[in-house]
Amino acid sequence: MQTSELLNNYNVDPRTWDEMYSSSTVREQYKGVVDFLRQMSIEELSKKEELAKRLFMSQGITFTVYSSGEGIEKIFPFDIIPRIITAAEWTYIEEGIRQRLKALNLFLKDVYNNQFILKDGVVPFEMVYSCPHFLREMHGFPVPHDIYVHIAGIDLIRDHDGTFYILEDNLRTPSGVSYMLENREITKRIFPDLIPKNNVRTVTEYPNILHRNLVSLSPRQTAHPNIVLLTPGIYNSAYFEHTTLARLMGVELVEGRDLVIDNHRVYMKTTGGLQPVDVIYRRVDDHFLDPLVFQPDSMLGVAGLMSAYRKGNVAIVNAVGNGVADDKAIYTYVPAMIRYYLNEEPILKNVPTYQLGNPDEREHVFGHMNEMVIKKTNESGGYGMLMGHTATEEEIDRYKAEILKDPRQYIAQPIISLSSAPCYMNGRMAPRRVDLRPYALCGPEGIQIVPGGLTRVALREGSLVVNSSQGGGSKDTWVLAG
Amino acid sequence: MLSRVADSLYWMSRYMERTDGILRMLRINYASSQDDIHEFSWKPVLQIFTYLDEERAATISRDTRAVLQYMVTDKENSNSVLNIVTRARENARGVQDHITKELWQCLNDFYHTIRDEQLVRGLQTDDPVSILDVLIRQGLLYYGITDVTMARGEGYAFLNIGKFIERGVQAADILDIKFSDLEYDFTRMDTTWWKYLLLSISGFELYLKTYRSGFDARNVVEQIVLNPNFPRSILYSVNRLQLHFQRLKDDLNKEGYEKLDFMIGKIQSRVRYTTVDSILQQGLHSFLKSVKDDLYEVGTAFNHHYFAYL
Repeated sequence: MQTSELLNNYNVDPRTWDEMYSSSTVREQYKGVVDFLRQMSIEELSKKEELAKRLFMSQGITFTVYSSGEGIEKIFPFDIIPRIITAAEWTYIEEGIRQRLKALNLFLKDVYNNQFILKDGVVPFEMVYSCPHFLREMHGFPVPHDIYVHIAGIDLIRDHDGTFYILEDNLRTPSGVSYMLENREITKRIFPDLIPKNNVRTVTEYPNILHRNLVSLSPRQTAHPNIVLLTPGIYNSAYFEHTTLARLMGVELVEGRDLVIDNHRVYMKTTGGLQPVDVIYRRVDDHFLDPLVFQPDSMLGVAGLMSAYRKGNVAIVNAVGNGVADDKAIYTYVPAMIRYYLNEEPILKNVPTYQLGNPDEREHVFGHMNEMVIKKTNESGGYGMLMGHTATEEEIDRYKAEILKDPRQYIAQPIISLSSAPCYMNGRMAPRRVDLRPYALCGPEGIQIVPGGLTRVALREGSLVVNSSQGGGSKDTWVLAG
Repeated sequence: MLSRVADSLYWMSRYMERTDGILRMLRINYASSQDDIHEFSWKPVLQIFTYLDEERAATISRDTRAVLQYMVTDKENSNSVLNIVTRARENARGVQDHITKELWQCLNDFYHTIRDEQLVRGLQTDDPVSILDVLIRQGLLYYGITDVTMARGEGYAFLNIGKFIERGVQAADILDIKFSDLEYDFTRMDTTWWKYLLLSISGFELYLKTYRSGFDARNVVEQIVLNPNFPRSILYSVNRLQLHFQRLKDDLNKEGYEKLDFMIGKIQSRVRYTTVDSILQQGLHSFLKSVKDDLYEVGTAFNHHYFAYL
């Protein structure tokens, strides 16, 4: 059987934007790949898929699931067919993210200092003060270069007409960038020559840009500041990513127990005694960073870190307290922030969002539960979510009761269908829903977005949930050069 | 270098050295068990490499397949190859930014190999030597990749320190337990017995070349303790330990360096400036035990002066 036959069975849902097909003709950007795949047999493709799995496994690109005292290595599912973004689409996305990040950074600076946006009534006080990620510890202290969001992983989705929407802003410790890098490496191995032939832009600059930005944040004026990546340790599911980034940047990978604070300065414990630390790229959440200030039983952080930070003796990336800006309820106000701070119209749209803390909006949502997805404002990873169109009456009622206990902690959005992209599923091509997470880096010289990103894919047929914790996979993401 | 990283490199390396020691021991003893030796027993091997009490050791010491199962794949045996390779890999995982990607992949592959149930099932049903060979080769790959890819910095020094402490302890253990099996009776001259002892630490050919007069217990002691060119002798291990330790001299840790320099120097002179005669005069067991204790003490001192981070 030839692959072309596989493509004939590719049935796109008519109410969905498909990345490859436009009314049964292959879109220009996918032609190169489709032609290439046509020359291959199913056996070959299946072999490629096997090879990809083996490469992930032997390189240890895995996370460990512990059950009955024994670790089982899992790979994050990878689909071999790349997701392709045209140059024009990319320019638009890039501009939109740049604008949005600029406004979000200004918002964080404002909300932790003068609070003009609150006083002017653009964002309500109670919205900010009721957010558990709004940290008073950050108030009135100047972060280096006024940058709060050094690394952002903003999630985008596409509605049925192809319009891009912002789904959420991840401004705390966004993960997944190592998969952007590793997926590309795997594609290079399984499809030799395909990438250069298709004029795909490279993503390898990411660690270099990030490293340059980290160096520039050092509070000590020295040519070689000590930069560390703070990880929760080998049991963290993103540990592979932490090691990859540390290796690619040539920085020290540390755990909380490797660090100690003396006289408001951070040191790492080395074989040659204590060494000063200048910049911490932390992959530990705010609430675990410093047991003296936040969660007192945290073993992942360093006692006294916040005071060293506030004294300006160490830079922390991303800044502490960013969660107030990517809170799902605050999200509704981002377009208003863009108008307020930049006096511009938002380039990328928000998904319409209802605040369940608002009685009128709640009323409306409760009347249309079947068309809504309801999320908790401070959960991520697809946890605590209700998909109205698949939930049973009983589940809905239970969820409603849950909401009424603390409505501020919930938002609702109409279900957006998400675009589909071709995936290689058991010997045939099938459309599966995807989102897109590009990674933006913000340094003293401005915002840079590496042309690429993480495409997450819902591997179950018809599923709209792409989170890896809910059975999602990923794809290599190509941005084509002009 | 972070103390935690130094600690992990040291243990990763010790575990890999132990893995190699165990696998070679199993391979040769398996061959020996198939040979025409009366009353072959795995007891010495179990004594060197496991924590089994005598009673339990006695119950499996004549059952080759059970020993292979226990020493290679048993999850309950904390010194099984499966468990120490897992620990070596866990250590490597925590220091991936300090070892080369090739080295990490090699350990990761080793881990997946030893967990490949289909492969290790062969230890029970098939020719165990071919399976042991696959595992030994994975270990050799580790040595080769370390040599070819690792930078000669502090990390490399800690790798080698761990490796040669482990190797020195192993040499002393093997000799001690094998001789205790004979109740330190040097007159026993069973050629096959000596041959397998030497083969198990890859010293048979060297022995033949060095001593033309057949097998003599004194010569065996001389080769395993005192031959500076035999890579598994105690003297060789201690010399290497000293050599790699000296590379830490630039380090800022002056106090620790001086303390350890003294300790290692002392062991080195003790082993170097002795003879088989004076060892036997002191008593082989007492000599080997004191060398082992000193090596353990060096390990503890490293813990104290270089790896303390908690």
